[in-house]
Amino acid sequence: MNARAAVLAATFAVTVVGLCRTPAPAAMPQAIGSLPRGGSYVLDPDPTVGSAAIGLWFRAPAAGFDNATPGISNLAATAAAVAPLASGKSLYALIHSLGGELNIEVYPDIVGIAAVVPAAAARRVIAGMTGAYFAPTLDDTAVKTARANAAVLGVQQRYESDATLHDLLFKQIFAGGPAHYPPLPDSVAQLTSISTAQAGAYAKRAFRAENAVLTLAGNVDASSVSAVTDGGGNGSMDTPYDSPLAKSPASATMTGSIDGVGLGWVGPPIADQKAATALDFIADYLFRDRTGVVPRTLDKSSSDTLLSGQFITLHDPGVMVVTIGGDEEKATEQRVLAALDALQQPLDRATFEAAREAFLYHVATDTQTPQERADNLGWYTVEGNLQYAPGLANGSYEQAVRALDPQYVADVVRRYLRNPVVVNLTATSSDKESP
Amino acid sequence: MKPGLPLVILATLAICAAPCTARAAGAEVPTPTLANVGGTTVVQQSDSAASLAGIALVVRAGLDRETMKQNGVAALVAQTILLTPVGSPAMSLQDAIAARGGSVRFTIDPSDVRFYIEALAGDAPAVLDLFRTALAAPDFSPATIRTARAALVRQIAQSQQQALQVGLDMLNAAGSSQANAGLPELGTPASLAQIFSNDARAFYHAYYRRGGSLISAAGRLDGLGADTLSSLAAALPEGTTAPVAVHTPLLSGATHEIVAHRDISSPWLIAQYPAPKVDSEDFGPMLVLAAFVRRTLSDIAQVPGVVTPTFASRSVGAVYAYDRAPPSLVLYVNGGLIGNPSRAFATALSVVNVLAATRLQGSIEEFKAEAAGDFANDATTLETRTWLAAVFSRESASPDFINRALAAISTTTPDDVQRVARKYLGNPTIALVLPRGTNLQD
Repeated sequence: MNARAAVLAATFAVTVVGLCRTPAPAAMPQAIGSLPRGGSYVLDPDPTVGSAAIGLWFRAPAAGFDNATPGISNLAATAAAVAPLASGKSLYALIHSLGGELNIEVYPDIVGIAAVVPAAAARRVIAGMTGAYFAPTLDDTAVKTARANAAVLGVQQRYESDATLHDLLFKQIFAGGPAHYPPLPDSVAQLTSISTAQAGAYAKRAFRAENAVLTLAGNVDASSVSAVTDGGGNGSMDTPYDSPLAKSPASATMTGSIDGVGLGWVGPPIADQKAATALDFIADYLFRDRTGVVPRTLDKSSSDTLLSGQFITLHDPGVMVVTIGGDEEKATEQRVLAALDALQQPLDRATFEAAREAFLYHVATDTQTPQERADNLGWYTVEGNLQYAPGLANGSYEQAVRALDPQYVADVVRRYLRNPVVVNLTATSSDKESP
Repeated sequence: MKPGLPLVILATLAICAAPCTARAAGAEVPTPTLANVGGTTVVQQSDSAASLAGIALVVRAGLDRETMKQNGVAALVAQTILLTPVGSPAMSLQDAIAARGGSVRFTIDPSDVRFYIEALAGDAPAVLDLFRTALAAPDFSPATIRTARAALVRQIAQSQQQALQVGLDMLNAAGSSQANAGLPELGTPASLAQIFSNDARAFYHAYYRRGGSLISAAGRLDGLGADTLSSLAAALPEGTTAPVAVHTPLLSGATHEIVAHRDISSPWLIAQYPAPKVDSEDFGPMLVLAAFVRRTLSDIAQVPGVVTPTFASRSVGAVYAYDRAPPSLVLYVNGGLIGNPSRAFATALSVVNVLAATRLQGSIEEFKAEAAGDFANDATTLETRTWLAAVFSRESASPDFINRALAAISTTTPDDVQRVARKYLGNPTIALVLPRGTNLQD
């Protein structure tokens, strides 16, 4: 890592896991196929880099199959990573010993296990990862470690306006189902109430080979698929874990550890590619850091306002989320609403075409690394529309972007982006004094 | 019972006593091509499957071309180029490139200015044409200079809120043998206020020359004509330039501490050691040593974060900045997230001292794997790849950064690590960046 990268990493301390998956229109010689013992794979090779990204994605409800144990997918996924494999070493230790990094990405309806490793280590990690998840053996020690990890993350998340507001908005928008509950439990009591047996049973059901897609990107080739070590199912992937909408989602004011404002709108399902793509475009045009219409009105040298806006592409329905943290939340909220109001009228042709070309570029530059591509392919596969993932050769995403026009974008704003659900988060005075 | 300091050191030195079988080297990656076109070095890493093209243009017009009074003029000229009106209807270069599906930015280094242009492959020829137009004839009108100056002042204000950047700026200033090469990259608001159109124009005409320039491109390059890349440098007049010699005595004494106060919420502690260049036999061992120090610092600080990286686990670190002249190894601790930052920092410095005198016990394979992973995993964006190819091309015989670095790590022995520790990690310069209203005793 060079010094500038270190400054960025240390300053913006935690890797931001994108909720909006906007893949790159790459012309890769990709391959899609079946794993030898159940499940499928998507391969996106790039021999010009020195690393390989390996992902394992599952349809898995974060609050359990009966929505009664919020946090169980987090615990089970983490415990499987730290439980000893047949070699005696855990997947987490294996990856680190090979010079790689492991990320466990838990969302309301899906789980992604993502590793990035030096290319020469790819086969060993594929073997270890499929062994750890396709035949999970969770013990008390592993679950205890997973609880500790979740507890640390839980404390951290209290001070992250983006993640906190995202969870609160989903709680208001969805009446039940996995999206109603935060993927990371609210309290330690919830964590400790989940037993090793419960986590183990959940892991065996959720992390079946046939419920998985293995994604490979970077300096890795199709022969790596033969490194898959476990699995034995003959079934198919679970149906998507959608959540029912609240009939009249209400805005709310809540207290927490930080101040912030969140705005949410229910959008189209992933199957409505045209509308979903239009909402991706709108989020990029209005809210993208530095280039977006609203961020450009913020003077970051005198304000620490944190604005994030993205359309979260989900099976059904997707959700547009805007979160505002730092200072000047209410003034920024008004800027967001004014920008959306203005976009109800079609952009002039020149502005629109420039914004669309910029959007295509942003999509490409944001998904150029192996890890970004592997995550992207995994997300779209388990959300139910791999063909919509532009990373695929002859995929439909870039076509959908190029088919947009100013009038349609304005129509989408009027159809989906009026009357947001609003969550006002207010810090208690004692929390304000905390780090 | 929590172990005391000596035990911590011994435990850390023996942390990988068990045999590790990880192979550090990665799969072979195609070597970048290297050519000299009319005095300009052109490095290419072609990837026909990429959707983007990334191009870095490096010109010898960095900090060491500034006089001490001119600090900021290199950045002001570069920012002016980004704001130069181009195209029809005319708009600033950066806006015009954004509208064509691309981006452009610059970095000021001790001896260079580096422009990085990135675009969708199909848009790249037009985007490069826009850049070439602005590069050949920047708009040095007072209005554009004012706008450029204001943009830089905003960036400076932002960077002053980043404690690690403040500390690195101070350490770079203290560690440069050429005083001007260690000045703040963007200048200061005060120095920029003294630089006007004529100063920027004069700097541009004096130092934006073809001689010594370098172009490094990566990604999908097959859509670019044979001369497209070299024509970027051809937009500049021929000739070479020399640095402005400004020598100041280096700091003397056994310990060096620099203190600054900023509007930050917690103290930062940063130590800087000299380090080898990429063509040195010490390069690979220093990469391994940096991985060891990084792990050690994390262990000492007892940062929480069991599996998933957290704020706290990223609040300590070690960075081997081999891409800067002079290279350095930097250790840092963010005092706001560590229980006892002074103790963690002091312990880390003690461990570094012990390293020079004590051979690492056990295998170093895990640290070699970590070093290889860090290097390979950090070199995946087109911008990083173009820059690393440029650095290796300049500083060594080959632009093949990835295979050479992995090979250098793979052949490193524990004796190499100790030799390098002894050679470089003797006497750090320390920067303390403190919140306003606090002092060293706090």
